[in-house]
Amino acid sequence: MDRRRVNGPPGGTAPPVYLPPGRTAAAPGRTRGPNEIRKIFLKTGLTPSAAGSAYLELETPSINHSNSLLDRTPALKLTCTVHGPRPLPRSSPFSPRLLLSTRVKFAPFAARQRRGYIPDSGERDLAAHLETALRGILIGGRWPKSGVDVIVTVLEGEEDCPRDALATGNQNGRTGGWGMMSILSGCITVASAALTDAGIDCVDIVTGGIAAIVRQPAAPAQLVLDPCPPDHEEIIAACVIGYLQSRDEVTETWAKGNITALSDGKGTTKMGFDTLIDHAVEAAMAARRVLVEALKEGTEAKIQNSQAKPPGRAMGT
Amino acid sequence: MSLPHLAYPGLPLGPSSLYIPGPGTHLHTASSTIHASLAGQPILTTPPSKDSKPTISIPRLLPSPTHTPVLSEKVSNVNTLPSVGSVVLGRVTRVRGRGVEVGIAVVYPVGVDWGALAGEGGTVGGGQEGGCVCADEWAAVIRKEDVRATEKEKVVTAEGFRVGDVVRGVVISLGDQSNYYLSTARNELGVIMAKSEAGHTMHPISWNEFRDPVTGLTEGRKVAKPF
Repeated sequence: MDRRRVNGPPGGTAPPVYLPPGRTAAAPGRTRGPNEIRKIFLKTGLTPSAAGSAYLELETPSINHSNSLLDRTPALKLTCTVHGPRPLPRSSPFSPRLLLSTRVKFAPFAARQRRGYIPDSGERDLAAHLETALRGILIGGRWPKSGVDVIVTVLEGEEDCPRDALATGNQNGRTGGWGMMSILSGCITVASAALTDAGIDCVDIVTGGIAAIVRQPAAPAQLVLDPCPPDHEEIIAACVIGYLQSRDEVTETWAKGNITALSDGKGTTKMGFDTLIDHAVEAAMAARRVLVEALKEGTEAKIQNSQAKPPGRAMGT
Repeated sequence: MSLPHLAYPGLPLGPSSLYIPGPGTHLHTASSTIHASLAGQPILTTPPSKDSKPTISIPRLLPSPTHTPVLSEKVSNVNTLPSVGSVVLGRVTRVRGRGVEVGIAVVYPVGVDWGALAGEGGTVGGGQEGGCVCADEWAAVIRKEDVRATEKEKVVTAEGFRVGDVVRGVVISLGDQSNYYLSTARNELGVIMAKSEAGHTMHPISWNEFRDPVTGLTEGRKVAKPF
């Protein structure tokens, strides 16, 4: 008996046997308008052990033509915890500012393809992008000699319909990597909510927005906000930004794909990088309205609790 | 202009020509507007003199206790940062020849009114109004020369502190990479709670001695003057 590791059951287990994929229904496609983002659910203060926390969920369109798991459309569920500001480890050098460290981790069950416990390159990439987005909003000088950890856990972050992945036989699925961009956009919004919930000084709240140039078969290229990768036959380019609305500043940009100026078929509008950014800003502004409402709700609850208690709960900084 | 009921980071609160930014707010220099930097209720503090401008501040809110597994209503998983001048309570973790290592557990805001606290009559349990219990211990050190104000060169740290003592000190510097620097060089600062070698809680009998009520033995400490 190995006492140092988590042991498997003593009697052995039988591997699960899955049914072969049946008929493949037609892809549902996008049911929203091109300028419409998915509905967002956002709530702060759900993790008791953290100094600040938030949970974000993107609406899953309900298309239940069959009960098959294969027809399940991807959803996005993120939870973010903020620990700190807390003392730096003894070995680290003196820092007059707040040190930010970010981590993005997919839960093992987050996607069809299970991920290990050690962050892979995609997760580290997301964490680096998230750090850039958040560093721009922190007022670090107010917390000398301390560090804050922002940890985003992706509870559900399927990039693909399982059906599509099976049809192409590709492990990454048909949409190969585009889903990471909408996950980043959600990460930025949820981390900003959790930072505010933790009471860390920020110059503004940052929200993520994403826009993409997509093309359906036998149709001209089209600009859409908040694309859901399996909805589209082909994504030509996409761009995520972290946007501060009250200062009109962008803290993070991540663009991918072939962003040459494309004509939309009528030969009038060009879809270049600037247009893509403008639309991503639009998506971020829409997400901000949800974030502000969620923050107000969370603050209201905290105030009510502090009033129920004797004075002295609210503390000066 | 009236302040909004609830503020969130980035919300403009007023022009800097009319107000002064206080804690929880910041000045956006490009637009010379005061913006909120915390979520909470903005408070307007009227100035002491008529010439100066009122200050906008937002007090930091603790997490909702319904979500917090609190042992006491003052304990939360949020830290308060010790700053220069704030009075703190800590526990001695190590006594060295050159100084005493302390873990800061409670931080009082800068400028706490000790006269008002004296009225509550407690040295240990009482008089903690306004003190914030930290979720994590902040490492601090009382250097040998900061233990007392007189005869600094004759201080022997082992005669003034023992591991496990609860100490009241004042932060004199943010210190080096790991430790805050504390000072106990005032009458009301020093050890406020100590256990004897036999393990009994002792009571202070003079400025440098505690007595064990059970065995009757005395031990040397840098004693904080009880209020």
